[in-house]
Amino acid sequence: MLGLFLPLLVVLLLIAAFLRGDFALTLIYLVVGALAAGMWWCRRALAQVEAKRRFPTHAFLGEQVRIHLYVQNKGWLPVPWLELRETLPVALAGPHSFQTVTNLGPRAEAQFEYFVQARKRGYYPIGPLSISTGDILGLSDSLLVQNQAEALVVYPKIIPFTSMEIPSHSPQGTLRHSLPLFEDPTRVFGKRGYTSGDSLRRIDWKSSASSGRLQVKLFEPSIALETCVILNLNTEDYYYRSRIDSTELAIVIAASISNWIIDKKQVVGMLVNGHDPLTADGKPQTIPPRKGKHHLMRLLETLARVEMIDNSAFGPLIQQQRYQLAWGTTLIVITGSVGDELLHELYQARRWGQNAILILAGRDAADEAIRRRAKIFDTPVFSIATEADLKLWMQGSKRV
Amino acid sequence: MMACIVITIGNLIQNVLPGWHSGIIAGVLLFIVIDRLYTYRQLKSLTPFSSEWAIALGTQWVLILLLIRFLLSYADGLDSFIRDLSLFTRGYLAELFTSEFVITLLLALLVWILPAQFLELLDEIGLDQELALREESPPIQGDAVPAHQRLVNLIFSLGIFLVILTVLTRLNVRNILSNVTGLPTVEVSRFSGAEAGALLYFVFGLTLLSLSRLMSLQTHWNRLRIPVSSNNLVKQWGIYSLFFLLILAVIVSLLPAGDSLGLFSVLRTMFSFLFGVLFFIGQLFLFLIALLFSLPMVFLLRGDSTPIGRLPTIPPLPPPPVESSAATSGNEAWMLIRSILLWGSLLVILVFAFIQFVRQHGGLRTALRRMRVTNWLILAWQRLYKNADKARGNLSRAILDGWQNLLSRLEEKRILPAAGLINLRSLDPRRRIYFFYLAMIRRGGEQGLTRKPSQTPSEYAVQLEKALPSASEDIDSITEAFVEARYSRKEMDSGKAELVKAAWGRIRRVLQGKSKNA
Repeated sequence: MLGLFLPLLVVLLLIAAFLRGDFALTLIYLVVGALAAGMWWCRRALAQVEAKRRFPTHAFLGEQVRIHLYVQNKGWLPVPWLELRETLPVALAGPHSFQTVTNLGPRAEAQFEYFVQARKRGYYPIGPLSISTGDILGLSDSLLVQNQAEALVVYPKIIPFTSMEIPSHSPQGTLRHSLPLFEDPTRVFGKRGYTSGDSLRRIDWKSSASSGRLQVKLFEPSIALETCVILNLNTEDYYYRSRIDSTELAIVIAASISNWIIDKKQVVGMLVNGHDPLTADGKPQTIPPRKGKHHLMRLLETLARVEMIDNSAFGPLIQQQRYQLAWGTTLIVITGSVGDELLHELYQARRWGQNAILILAGRDAADEAIRRRAKIFDTPVFSIATEADLKLWMQGSKRV
Repeated sequence: MMACIVITIGNLIQNVLPGWHSGIIAGVLLFIVIDRLYTYRQLKSLTPFSSEWAIALGTQWVLILLLIRFLLSYADGLDSFIRDLSLFTRGYLAELFTSEFVITLLLALLVWILPAQFLELLDEIGLDQELALREESPPIQGDAVPAHQRLVNLIFSLGIFLVILTVLTRLNVRNILSNVTGLPTVEVSRFSGAEAGALLYFVFGLTLLSLSRLMSLQTHWNRLRIPVSSNNLVKQWGIYSLFFLLILAVIVSLLPAGDSLGLFSVLRTMFSFLFGVLFFIGQLFLFLIALLFSLPMVFLLRGDSTPIGRLPTIPPLPPPPVESSAATSGNEAWMLIRSILLWGSLLVILVFAFIQFVRQHGGLRTALRRMRVTNWLILAWQRLYKNADKARGNLSRAILDGWQNLLSRLEEKRILPAAGLINLRSLDPRRRIYFFYLAMIRRGGEQGLTRKPSQTPSEYAVQLEKALPSASEDIDSITEAFVEARYSRKEMDSGKAELVKAAWGRIRRVLQGKSKNA
């Protein structure tokens, strides 16, 4: 950028040295001063600029996220021009990222606002913000600093279920059940006359005394649905033509089921074999079964972040983790395709007292074969090819 | 910045060549810079090497050339000017190309190119916003040197040139040149106008860089479609630039730089230099105006001894080439032709160049028209033109009569063209009268009534009346009409011409009757 600055300086120095030229010295001061002062001003001013973002770090799919950007000059040196360029993910901002030019006086601040659209679930970095400025004469190159990026989590799509048929063998829960085997003594729904063989514990003494005849309580059957959603994101387990859509559908299924279970005040955990960009080793953490909305957010965050992974066998993962789950836990396994190894693992889980359900996400050509094999292993299989299938399934009519 | 360069060049010439007209040279260079800045856009809009471009460029340079020569000649006094004029008219053009003139021309070429360089770069930097926002605007060349950097280079390279010039100005060159024995003693004078010029050049250069930086950034933002959210960016930029330069000036003045500098002394010198430049420009214009007014007066009063005193005589011309005595008369004619050609071409070039110059400076013409003095001059000119028109009419009539007179004498008093070429309808009444009268003489001659050259019209009329007594009245009337038409300035109307025609018809019939009888 300096161009002929050095030759000029050399000429001036020669003149100053040989001709005792005070005027040459003055010119040296002027030219070098202009360059040095410009550079110093530019660096100093840029060091004093601070930028902050304010935005909700989590968003649901389809939401518009408003991002406030505050740029402040903390020093007394004014900044003649400041070019701000925000790096935004294409999935959120499209081709037009936020960029603007401003100037900041001493101790001044500027505030900007822009929007991004949560179009796709994911874990997105907002930024880094590139702040560039330069000297007022253009004698030196522009300086650039980058502000740290912040994350925005876009939750996966949740399809709300009104009902869902998930079998469980865990009695004494809070969910109504059709099998009288799981009658819950805390859920009295009526009385009837005593018949021979009725347990004495069922007799309602108060009503018997008032009616003069023995009355027994009728209990509503119920189950406790402790569930673990096991999501397979191994690339090879999905049909290659619809791999991306199928894995996304699998994530939507996992999120929707988790949401429904939490909504029913049940416990749910999660086991995923994908890639988590936030963890050090890239493996998503196993989330033990818990209740509550906060737990649901944790599950959804994991589901928002995870991505497909190559060469991550699913069977051994289940084998490792299922021993840590309680007896009677329902294992909801969501995958693209199933091999004998996985079916065998699910069979072993069933024998161990856990209840395994297999959900096939996406259009797998080997559907029929899988179903036949699963029947041999006595594992219920649900096939969900699209979100529309998921909506039908939530009404309980899709059992195969 | 250009003024600083020009003044420094002037100072250098004054220092090195005191015999030359440094003030005139600097003034002309300054005028060229101003003119170039004014006409740059117009010239740029023309297609290079097209006829319009060549005319515009040629006009500019013809005027520059003439202006330089004219001012350099006039600067030595009127006698020198007239001598140079005489040299030109006699064709000794080589004598006019003195070293001073050639150097001035070269400097003129330099200062003609330099402003264009600056303006081209500024044009490139400050690309039109609409053009920058246009989708099909050309992409920025990645490997090309940015225009702003080229401007930096140009300012710095000119700065180097100016610093060297300033140093040369400061040296006592005459002493160095005179001291031929041993090493020359370099005498460095104290801080003066030349240094202030160099300093001002750099100050203006930095200011220009600040402006061009803003322009280049704006173009860059427009190209990348980056909106400017601040409304006062330009205003603040100006304020920050001003403060930056002021602070820089204060710092520079406080730093040790010899015994003669200090903030106030530098400021005083710089401002005095700046005012000096402005004063010089003002003086230059005044000089040009005074020159324009004084020249006609000088020429008009050339014969009188007062009030401007005795005018100098034309100095002897350089010895002409040796010629043979036999070719003297031919050389005189050739000299006359050459003189006419030279003067004619000079006049044509001057008029054409002046018209083109006025066309190029359309804005200047509009501004001049708005001035009261100009309006007054235009009114005066219109009045003068009206009077002149009348005078021209009278003059042309007199010339016509004189011409006819001359022709009649030269071509045996012929007052009409040859008979075969006459179209009666195309003749005016006066000439028709001539025609019928001459027809009468011709026909009379054919009948033996020839007019002697010594006879007046009246004498010939008497001769005819004797021969043709029946047509005596008609002969009298046609003769009287001819005399009136020929020797008076009285207007001849077509009615009178018709009467003459009728009279001639009757005379002709009488003449025809006489010939039949014979």
